[in-house]
Amino acid sequence: MKNTLKCAVAAVALLVSAPTVFAADLVIGVRAGPDSIDPHWSTLGTQAEALHYVYDTLVDVDAKLQLKPGLALSWAAVADTTWEFKLREGVKFHDGTPFTAEDAKFSIDRIPHVTGPNPMTLYTKYVDRVEVIDDYTLHVHTNGIAPSLPNDFTRLFVIPSETGMDARNAEFNSGEKAVGTGPYTFVSWQPKGDLVLKRNDGYWAGETHWENVVRREIADDAARVAALRSGQVDMINYVPAADYLAMKNDSDVETFVGDSVYILNIAPNVKDVEPQPIKVNGVEVEGNPLQDIRVRKALDLAINREILVKIVLEGLGTPANQLMPKGFFGYSENIPAASYDIKQAKALLAEAGYPEGFEIDFTCTNNRVPGDSVVCEALAQMWSRLGLKVNAQALNGTVFFPADARGEYTMSMSAWGTITGEAAYTYGALTHSRNDELGFGNFNRTGYASEEFDKVFQQGTQTLDPEARRPLYERASEIAMEDRAQIPTITLQFVSAAKANLLSYEPRVDQEIRAYEISPAK
Amino acid sequence: MLSYLVTRLAQAVVVVFAMSVIVFVGVFAIGNPIDVMIDPGATQEIRQQMIEKYGFDQPLYVQYWTFLENVFQGDMGTSLVYNIPVIELVFSRFPATLELVLVAVGIAAVIGIPAGLWAGYRPESKSAKLIMALSVLGFSVPTFWIGMLLIMGFAVELGVLPSGGRGDVGSFLGISTSLATADGWSHIILPAINLSLFKMGLLIRLTRAGMVEAMSMDYVRFARAQGLPDNQIVFSHILRNISIPIVTVFGLELGSTLAFAVVTESVFTWPGVGKLIIDSIMQLDRPVMVSYLVLVVILFVFINLAVDLIYAWLDPRVRLKGGA
Repeated sequence: MKNTLKCAVAAVALLVSAPTVFAADLVIGVRAGPDSIDPHWSTLGTQAEALHYVYDTLVDVDAKLQLKPGLALSWAAVADTTWEFKLREGVKFHDGTPFTAEDAKFSIDRIPHVTGPNPMTLYTKYVDRVEVIDDYTLHVHTNGIAPSLPNDFTRLFVIPSETGMDARNAEFNSGEKAVGTGPYTFVSWQPKGDLVLKRNDGYWAGETHWENVVRREIADDAARVAALRSGQVDMINYVPAADYLAMKNDSDVETFVGDSVYILNIAPNVKDVEPQPIKVNGVEVEGNPLQDIRVRKALDLAINREILVKIVLEGLGTPANQLMPKGFFGYSENIPAASYDIKQAKALLAEAGYPEGFEIDFTCTNNRVPGDSVVCEALAQMWSRLGLKVNAQALNGTVFFPADARGEYTMSMSAWGTITGEAAYTYGALTHSRNDELGFGNFNRTGYASEEFDKVFQQGTQTLDPEARRPLYERASEIAMEDRAQIPTITLQFVSAAKANLLSYEPRVDQEIRAYEISPAK
Repeated sequence: MLSYLVTRLAQAVVVVFAMSVIVFVGVFAIGNPIDVMIDPGATQEIRQQMIEKYGFDQPLYVQYWTFLENVFQGDMGTSLVYNIPVIELVFSRFPATLELVLVAVGIAAVIGIPAGLWAGYRPESKSAKLIMALSVLGFSVPTFWIGMLLIMGFAVELGVLPSGGRGDVGSFLGISTSLATADGWSHIILPAINLSLFKMGLLIRLTRAGMVEAMSMDYVRFARAQGLPDNQIVFSHILRNISIPIVTVFGLELGSTLAFAVVTESVFTWPGVGKLIIDSIMQLDRPVMVSYLVLVVILFVFINLAVDLIYAWLDPRVRLKGGA
């Protein structure tokens, strides 16, 4: 009788414990997952994060987004318009076929055929043609000088050439064509659901600790936190600021704070006629006050970044003085830290002819990054201390971006992430004057155009030697910031969390959670 | 009867067209989906290529006409975000929503109607007052908040139920559903309760109101005078008479819950259609928005049809006429 009871208790215990995962498995609750398992479909960051498990890129990036070897061991410009990539030998795809230069060429050539509305052709725009020299040497001929090609190839996932040009998203999603060289093999995926992965035991960079990894999409912040607290998942990303404060004092949970690539930038429109009128005492002013550098400096000086970080963002950020985080290629050490001086700001405004301030519209996103809408409101208050009347409006990105693309905002704020870790991506899009022929300034909605900036930046894009290019980009940073082409405010910090004593983890600046870079707790 | 069905179908077709026009005009007014999706580093040339590839450079009526042509060839379109046919995408997630809603509506009916009957039968009793007080909570407290409370209580503190997800999916009569496994039930119970509370409150109040009114009616007095036992009066006479408003509300609630269970689905990470449609709106994934809303319209038409047929069965005086 006693034995039967024991058996029953054991059986119940077994049943109850069944859903808990084994030690070497990791379930990660993520805010967003991929849109497809086809690695050439979209440039979305969450897409790349998920697909890194299955596929490798030619060039990889470290935790600070600086380049490191991936499937390519080394790369060098052998002529003005030719890059040579030396490929890693002995790498095998999950199906056992060896990786060669043909596969890399196929992957580059495939992109224009299959890419979606968030097109990957962005990363192959400099590629003219790809030449296979031998099994482990690849020449990429570029149209024009392309120093940033290795950076572009950090998102270039390699799939076997046997995949064929006809395979589309469905074949990848089903797993049939989801074959890469990455640290994990693909098991299954549902849109908005779980991405299930199994360790690739023959991985070229050495085996990883976690045998099975599940990336579970839990978009709702509170639900993601609850999933961690109830033990359904082992780790989560993007912990909301409010929960972060509670978690810091909770011994069951460990939090990890990391810098991000995202900076909240204010974009003052400097076109001759501002799209939303600026008024003094209800009367539209002549010309655009934002064209006056003194006004832009006054706006900058009136921002108390310490308060933004400490009070508004609960400590999760650092003051920014340029458009890229420290350590990125092109970050200038010569730019002084942003300062707060309301007196000087008022003096500058008076000097510019607006001693009584003016009334201005200010539009921001409210759902793109944590904290965008609260910073927006706080900025409006800070500028009201300067004497301005600010009509702040925080909008959903779905509404904000198309209107911004149509140039409808006089002053706006959104987050910009230098996701490639170097200046060409940011300056080419954001601060270079609009030039469709050269492909620059596509995201320059302010109308900022500086001949000096354009000259220095373009010189940089034509300089293959990184050590000669770096000072040019640094100079470009200094010009753009001296002109207040945009006014950077805060570099955001994001928080991830895990069960206590489970793992040791160094947050990456791109916010990717790479299970294969996470080791168990010591 | 036949003319009634034909009229109903014709109405449905008109509503479906109106709906698709509204979505097209709405998306067009907000802006270009490519501008929402595209990577900011993309050049103007790449952006232009994409806009042309997806036909967003065409005038609105041309875009709409292309859509209609495709629909008549049986092609509802492909999701911009997922590049999966929208029908496949919606139906891959619809069963999860359906099972959640059926369980929720079931809970609401099984508890709500008897509770409402009791509250109407003995309106002065303490238990009836308690039921009425709770029913107010049911539809005045936000779903989101109750959902979080349920999770904090049962998943985090007690640890007896999972905090979210659908759990194991089993097969029952060839349909794959989480209702076929114990693990599936453990996952569905919290979100279903969460989703049922509003409906339960509504059903309690509706049933009670009908009950109180019916109790003073002549037919009830006569039945009593005849010496019929109370439970026979309540269940065979009153319930049938007060069923029409209950069935109407029940039908409408069923439809709107199926279509828009998004809050509960988000809180409990339930892989249903609600989350899909919200994200599609955020990303201006027009093909998904159109197809989904068309599906919702069809669903409502069918539910209303079913409600009408049940009316006729409950009350023989109701005739189903064309144009009804």
